[in-house]
Formats: sequence, structure tokens, C-alpha cells
Amino acid sequence: MSTQQGALDRLLADTDNLLLTLLENMIWPILLLVIIAIFIAVPQTLSTFNSIQLILWGGVPIGLLVLAESICLLSGHFDLSIGAIAGLSGMLTGMVVGTCPACWGVSHNAFVGFGLIVLIGLAIGVFNGYMVGVVGINPFLQTLSFLIIVQGARTALNTQPATGLPSLYIFPGSKPKVAIGIMLVAFVLFGLVMRYTRFGQAVYATGSDERSAREVGISTSRVIIAVYAISGVLSAIAGLMITGFTGIVPPLIGDGLVFQAFAGAVIGGISLFGGRGKVTGALGGVILIQVIQSALNNSTVIGATQIQMINGIVLFVAILLYSTQESIRSRILAST
Amino acid sequence: MSIEDANPTTETPETSADEAKIRVEGVRKVFGRIVALDDIDLEIESNQIFALIGDNGAGKSTLMNILSGVHEPTAGQVYYDGDPVQFNNPSDARDRGIETVYQDLALMNDLDVATNIFMGSFPTRSLGPLKLIDWGETYDLAERIIQEKLDRDLNLETEVEFFSGGERQLIAVGRALAFDPDVIILDEPTSALSVDATNLVHETLRNLREQGLTIIIVSHSMEDVLDLADQIGILYHGELVEVTTPDDADLETLTNLIVTGQRGD
Repeated sequence: MSTQQGALDRLLADTDNLLLTLLENMIWPILLLVIIAIFIAVPQTLSTFNSIQLILWGGVPIGLLVLAESICLLSGHFDLSIGAIAGLSGMLTGMVVGTCPACWGVSHNAFVGFGLIVLIGLAIGVFNGYMVGVVGINPFLQTLSFLIIVQGARTALNTQPATGLPSLYIFPGSKPKVAIGIMLVAFVLFGLVMRYTRFGQAVYATGSDERSAREVGISTSRVIIAVYAISGVLSAIAGLMITGFTGIVPPLIGDGLVFQAFAGAVIGGISLFGGRGKVTGALGGVILIQVIQSALNNSTVIGATQIQMINGIVLFVAILLYSTQESIRSRILAST
Repeated sequence: MSIEDANPTTETPETSADEAKIRVEGVRKVFGRIVALDDIDLEIESNQIFALIGDNGAGKSTLMNILSGVHEPTAGQVYYDGDPVQFNNPSDARDRGIETVYQDLALMNDLDVATNIFMGSFPTRSLGPLKLIDWGETYDLAERIIQEKLDRDLNLETEVEFFSGGERQLIAVGRALAFDPDVIILDEPTSALSVDATNLVHETLRNLREQGLTIIIVSHSMEDVLDLADQIGILYHGELVEVTTPDDADLETLTNLIVTGQRGD
């Protein structure tokens, strides 16, 4: 009897472990299922190379923001100001290098633009990181206030599109293959950094248990500053990509993107509580969001006004699946 | 790091036969107006399990923190292998061969066993100017630490939150071993553990002593120290009132020493 019970326990434990592994990597089978469903229901969405390229190209800015948010989340923190950083860095740099009537036109050199946009993102990110990691301000309050300040600063600067930008400055975001390449390189690069460097593992350690990480000798305040700095720079590059995609700096650049970035990260399996998830999964999350968005746009059944609601439902389903994962974890924990 | 480096089993201890591994001479530690330790003289021999016991506030944590580099003594001198040493921080103590396992274990629950063991000391390999974590080496070395030094069989790829209290304690000891220490200090290693888990930890610590390590435990539990320790140092109000052995002291004697600073009748 006890042997049977033992065998049953083992079988249950194995099933739980298998389920857990499946749920941790579920973004990829889900993506596959969604793509198959789209091929059946809305085949024109993915019918040509160009349509697939367009989906990915449109997803580049949000992809970079998802990456930024994912790294923050893995460290046990989050950044509400990423969309606003994309907006301010994009607008400020557009004002400097643009030739529109409202622009300052300080320089028409694209490299000044590249340097400046990255520097603005870096500066805001480092400041956020310092306030959270060293001063000890709550990440929600710090980045919420900076969402408002930075977004407000962009509006105060200019409420009109910034135009007349150097062609080289808009080049990276305006060429689909280049833009998609930049996004993929960023994901691969940070995927490798997170897995194969001590810094990457220190981010996971900080996200899993900040105090323990400190006790094993990790300078968690430095990790936090670095994470927010990376987040700021990636957000600024997202601003550059939006600028390239549209050819101008739109007046509302960056608005509302932070919600999509959170959704992409969560759907991609990044834990909201830190320490768990892979940035490659987050890439899956970005692709899933973009593919669904595109299919909805092409659908004759669902109107444009319903798209946001459908996006919300997709996010909700993802959250439900991940809470199943949490309950399985709890069950395994309770049995140990 | 190779496992040979990390395994002192077959090596002759560096200390000479009559030299203590750690010697504390006239150590005093004052926090503001509070004298936490006063004129402590103590010798801890190699390949022994030395237990420090005492009531709350007796000074055992302060002494442990001095030996592990968290605090510097206000006065007095610590000798290691006969050399006077000054630890300004835990990393100085680590460089000298002293590792500490704190009571909260400092484990990262979401990360697996091998990652926890080598967090802070990952083996790397160079790729041009870059130093990248060598995961193959990480898992190999972690397996050897767990299997050969701790004599256990744990799945290295399982996240540590899934392990029992005793196993978690062993994983924390495994991380200390990854730094290739001669001395391991453990703060309350069996508090909140079941009887089985306590026995598991005791068995492992005895095993490590056999492998040549010097082990210092700080404990509230008199049963623990009587079962495990070769020598027992009793602190009372910041003073070391006696160093004894389990053969020379029973539960009642230790209780008297802890509560009154004297053996009693």
C-alpha cells in the first residue's frame, strides 16, 4: 500500500514538474497555436514576406520597451517611465537636429542626434536607478513621478511634430530590415548578457532576494542603477525607432506604450516579482502581441474599436495561465 | 578553481601542531556605551568543531562578526595560523579562508542549486576581453561539492525553494565551500529545523571536519553543541567564562554557565 502511495506521489510530482517546465516556456507553443489559428481565420495577415516584415517592423519600438521592462522586472523592480523616456529623448533630440519652425536646429549632424538621444535616456535611467537603488525611493513612486515629469517636459517642449530630421538620423528606424535587426540584436545581446555574465546573474539574484544578494557580496545598488540605465538607453533607442518609423517626431510620441511593454513582458513569462523569466520569452511576448494586433486589423469580424478590448483579454488569459503556474509551484512547495 | 584546490582532505594542515587555527587575544568590542565583548582570549584548534554559546546579548554574534570580518575589534588581536590579521570586511576574511553561513542562509529561492552555490564565485572562461560564466564547469563543480564534500544527492537544476530546511542549510554550506575555505562559521545552523534535518546537518558538519575543515558554530541549542562540538566556549555578558568539552559539561552545567556565568553546585 505504502509502495503504491509512494509511486503515486512520485507520479504526481513528475507531472507537476513537467507542467511547470511547460508553463515556464509556454509562450512558444502559444505563439505557434495563435499563428496556426491566424493562418486559418485571417490568412492574409501572414500571407507574404512583406506582411510578416511589416508586423515585426511595427513591433520594433514596443519590442525594445518590452526588453527594457523585462530587465527591470527581472531585477525585482519596474520602470513606468520607459514610454515617457522614449518620448522626451525623441522629441528633445528631434528639436536639436530638426529644421521645423519650432525646432532649434542646433545641428543637422545625425551622429549628434544618435549620441544625444542615447545620452538623454542614459541620464534619466541613471537618475531613476540612483533614487531607487541608493536613496531608497519606492520604484513605483519614483518612476511614476518621472513618467509624469518626463512626459510633461516633452509636451512643454513642443506640441507639434518635429520634422526636417537628417535622413541618416531616421535611417535605422525607417528601413524594416535594419530596425528589425536592431531589435533582434538587442534581444540576443541581452539574452546572452543575462545568461553568461556575472552581471546578468546578479540581476536575477537581486530580483530573487535583494538582501540575500547583498549578503553574498553583490552590490545591489550598482545592479539597480545599471538596470535602470539600460532601461533608459533601450527606451531612448525605442524613441529613435518610432522617429524612423514615422519619419518625424510625433507630438504624442511614447504615450501609452508602458502598458503594452508590461503586457509583452508578462505574456513572455517574466515574473512581476523578479528573479524569474527569460528575455527570449519576452521576445515571444512581443511577437505574439504584434501578430494578434495585425490579425485583428485584418479581420472582417472584429472592428477597430474592439481591438483594445481583445488585447486586454489576451493579457488577462496570460495572467490566468501564469497564476496556474504559481499555484502548481505552491503545491510542490507544500509537498516538500 | 579545481576541486583539488577546494578539497583539503589529503593535505597536511598548514598550521603546526601546537599552533591554533584561530587565536583571539584580549579582544574587546564597544558599541557606543555598550561593552559587547571584554578581554576575550580564545584558541580554536584546527579540524575541530568549536561551539560558541550564550544568552541573547552575551556577545556571541559580535565575536562571530569579528571573526568573519563584519566588525573590527575595538582592542585586542586576532591571529590566523599564527599570523596577526585584521579583517576590514567579510571579503578580507574570505581571502584568508574564513567563510560564514548566516542564519538566514542568503539563498536566492528562484535560482537553482548550482547557481546559488556559485553566486559570487562563478567559474568563468575568457572570450577575448570578456569573462563569461562557464556553466558546464559550474554544474560539474557544484555536483562535486554536493556529492563528494557534502555526501548528498541533490538535483542541481532544481530551484532552492523546493528543498527542505536541512537541505537548504547544506546548500548554503555548499556555497561556503565554493570559496575553498579552511574555516566555516555557521550562525544557528539548526534553528527551526526538524530532528531529522538537524541530524542531517550534524552528520554533514562532522563529515566536513573529517575532511580537514575547522568549523565554528554559534548556537542557542545546548543539545546541539553537546552532540556536535569538540569544544564549547560560553559567553556571559561579553566575557568568555569557560571553554569546556561535552565530556566535562552536561546540559545542567551549560545552562548554569549561560544563565549565571558559573557552573553552579
